[in-house]
Amino acid sequence: MATTATISIASDIASGFGGINETMTLTQAGTLTDIDSTTGFQIRKLSAASAVDLVTIANELVEPEDSQAAKIYIRNIGYKGVIDKSSYVTIGVKAEPVGRLYGGDWMMMPLTNIDADDVTATPETDNTVVLEYVMFYEEA
Amino acid sequence: MATTTAAVTLSSDLLSDNMSVSASTTCMKAGTTADGLDQIEYGYIDVVTGDQFDLLGADDDDGTPVAGVMASKANKVYIKNHSTDETYYVSIMIDAQDIGRLYGGDWMFIPWNATTDDKDIEITASGGTNKIEYALFHQGKTLVAS
Repeated sequence: MATTATISIASDIASGFGGINETMTLTQAGTLTDIDSTTGFQIRKLSAASAVDLVTIANELVEPEDSQAAKIYIRNIGYKGVIDKSSYVTIGVKAEPVGRLYGGDWMMMPLTNIDADDVTATPETDNTVVLEYVMFYEEA
Repeated sequence: MATTTAAVTLSSDLLSDNMSVSASTTCMKAGTTADGLDQIEYGYIDVVTGDQFDLLGADDDDGTPVAGVMASKANKVYIKNHSTDETYYVSIMIDAQDIGRLYGGDWMFIPWNATTDDKDIEITASGGTNKIEYALFHQGKTLVAS
């Protein structure tokens, strides 16, 4: 079965936009060999409007290979069943903000997995919010 | 209200208990529950090797240092590498920070802050000319008078 990710985007913004439906099989860099390592599925509860490392690359038990084909999935699942579309968590790499995950939003992003390039999360407010995430990568 | 939904299904057999995750979100304007993103840029380009290019610019078309009304909003970006050679890849960067690589067949879907004019989404091809599909869903940008 390997590891696969399928995205489906539908939109009525423009009548000519027919939607996007794509599946990728997560493979090791430059090969057709399946990716071999994962953090497993995790959740992280955040209750302060300050930046934290969601993933500290250097602390992974299985050391990731640098600059390969790693991917991370992250979703803002709110807290206790309440998904707040009006507040967000800013996801970043190292010190660079990538974007805001509002309640219910998800993302799939490639990663360098270089030790310095930790994945960061900064909630907008002190209100508790939970992120679910899983990272796939190659073992060094 | 325009409606844009993005769904993902993720499955893996790396763990002994196979993992399957499904999620869907309706892409709303920043901080609202009643108004969806209503503008789109959608394209398909060849990216040649040798240079770094701005795939999506955070500055206005005339280069003025304003990120327009996209700034600090709920923009979403989809990028797929349609190259059929698995050794080809593009490196994705934001404001000179390496984010990661999309090899042939890979896709990504991220929110994009575009807080300032230097937060462009930059792309560099390796291996050969990469074929890239991209879409930006947003709530408007400042147009420049001709």
